[in-house]
Amino acid sequence: MAKQVIVLILASVLFAPWSALAAESSCVECHRPQPGALGDPVGQWEGSIHQRHGINCSSCHGGDPTIMSMEAMSLEKGFLGVPAEDDIPSFCGSCHAGVMEDYLLSAHGQALGAGGPHCVTCHGNHAVELASLDIINRDLCTRCHEYGQADEMKSAMAKVDDKISSLQEETRRLRKLGFATEKIKNSIFSVRNQFHQLFHTVNVETVRSQTEEFSQELEKIDQQVAAMHQEVKNRKLLGGGVVVVLGAICILLVLLRKTYKDEEERVHPPGPPSMRP
Amino acid sequence: MSVYQRVVDWIDLRLGVRDILEQNLTHYLLPRNINVWYTLGAVLLTLFGIQFITGILLLVYYVPDTGQAFDSVQQIMNEIPFGWLIRYLHVVGSNLIVIALLLHMLSVLFMAAYKTPRELTWVSGFLLLNLTLGLCLTGYLLPWSQLSFWATTVATDAAGAVPVIGDDIVRFLRGGAMVNEATLGRFFALHVMGMPLLFGLLVGVHLFCVRRAGISRPPFGDGYVPRGPRYTFEHEHHYGGIPFFPNYAVKDAAVISFFLVLLAAIVFFWPTLFMPPAGFEPADPFTTPEHIKPEWYFLWAYQTLRIFPDKFLGLAVQVAAMTFLALLPFIDRSRERRPARRPLFLICFVAGIGVFVALSIWGHYA
Repeated sequence: MAKQVIVLILASVLFAPWSALAAESSCVECHRPQPGALGDPVGQWEGSIHQRHGINCSSCHGGDPTIMSMEAMSLEKGFLGVPAEDDIPSFCGSCHAGVMEDYLLSAHGQALGAGGPHCVTCHGNHAVELASLDIINRDLCTRCHEYGQADEMKSAMAKVDDKISSLQEETRRLRKLGFATEKIKNSIFSVRNQFHQLFHTVNVETVRSQTEEFSQELEKIDQQVAAMHQEVKNRKLLGGGVVVVLGAICILLVLLRKTYKDEEERVHPPGPPSMRP
Repeated sequence: MSVYQRVVDWIDLRLGVRDILEQNLTHYLLPRNINVWYTLGAVLLTLFGIQFITGILLLVYYVPDTGQAFDSVQQIMNEIPFGWLIRYLHVVGSNLIVIALLLHMLSVLFMAAYKTPRELTWVSGFLLLNLTLGLCLTGYLLPWSQLSFWATTVATDAAGAVPVIGDDIVRFLRGGAMVNEATLGRFFALHVMGMPLLFGLLVGVHLFCVRRAGISRPPFGDGYVPRGPRYTFEHEHHYGGIPFFPNYAVKDAAVISFFLVLLAAIVFFWPTLFMPPAGFEPADPFTTPEHIKPEWYFLWAYQTLRIFPDKFLGLAVQVAAMTFLALLPFIDRSRERRPARRPLFLICFVAGIGVFVALSIWGHYA
């Protein structure tokens, strides 16, 4: 309780302007009690990756969430409302610019407006989660076309994706041991970002050739991580030696003390201690 | 005559070192029933020696600046040969010192060695315990990690519970409204200079008191009888006892080795035992990490502040408990030292340990 109070006080003093922005918005206040499509998005957004990273309604839909009236949704306040289907890529692309570029160049993007998929088709909207290879699946892809090529791309990317995940996990573990992993973390992040661009190319040849390049990049990072693991092993080996030597010294000293004690008891048999003469 | 012999003779002629060594080592007699708990003083001296040496080595590369402190510690841990070893020895060593200090204090309490004529030994030892906790607190901030920053924020905030001047005390401790560059500066100065100087002085006083009054006889065995009242100073001799060197020094060395095994085992195999992940992230005043808790030895105090509805009341209880402990030799005036003949004391002793452990566990999981 004490900690929470401290944090609250500190937060109110230090981050006053920010906390005002983060306060309950008029969008959430007004839409939450409404039924159906007007209220559902609030519950879907809560717990989404957008919500976890502080992306609010107004970040995408515009408007002014600090105004507790309909004026919050006026054009003067930059309200965009619900985008038309063709506008969805630019709507999402206002933040995910690189992904939008990749998408528009891909077969999916080329088919936008002619029945082709857009961001929401695969990622959903308000309940959006961290993108993963699981988005490429038979159910979703076969809504529009055969799964064969998609499956091939997914298989090619899965190996790199797994490697990135395991390296990120290893890096976190090493970080907790005090290793400086910032550079490695940034390298993985860079490869991950480039790799994620592949997701939207939907081109088998590109995916095949580039996953090979990424694998080589990750192999170099893996060697650095392996060197740190070797260092951990070396430390334990050294530690084992030190502990054994110190333990042996301890045992020897205990035995030596026992020898002295036996000698003391021979000279002065156990009994009441002698008092001052 | 060997060169060594000639050098010793030369020094002895001028300083009488042989006499000093005889008086304090081979002819310095200890009670024959002296037990293993009496070795903790030597253990603590060794552990403090390690802290002193590793502390100086860390100072070579550490930079006491909020912009560079974390990176300098990272450099020590990753770039300086065996820097990780030196830092972990310092971190783990500080925790082992608190454990040894608590054991030392509990053994003195149990054997009632704090009683007349050793009141000053107890008080100086109690001050050393508090100073050690102060060294731990000030050292905690220096790496300027998330853990450092927020643990210090919580710890210094506790002083705000003092009525009227609480806020002023907090500002004085931090050098501002919140933990900042000024806090790091004053904590650094205290940790590496102010407190160690005072600590060295107090260790000297403590050892002088121990040596001057003589080692207390353990209050066990058929031959033990409480000493009568004294009206003049009298050194407690142990005629027919065992010589400190080599007989008991060997036992000291054995227990020291045991603690070193413990230290090495943690440093090499479980180095982050006393350091949560937030200790490896740079301080960020804008992000409060989850589950930030003080070190284990402050958990009892932390939890005491939480369970009382009023923070001042919690603080007052802590101050009262510590004052009672500090003044115990002046409150407990009876001459009886045998635990079996002090039932009230034994109940308080066990209950006190129980409350400390329970509050600490509660604080950890709360």
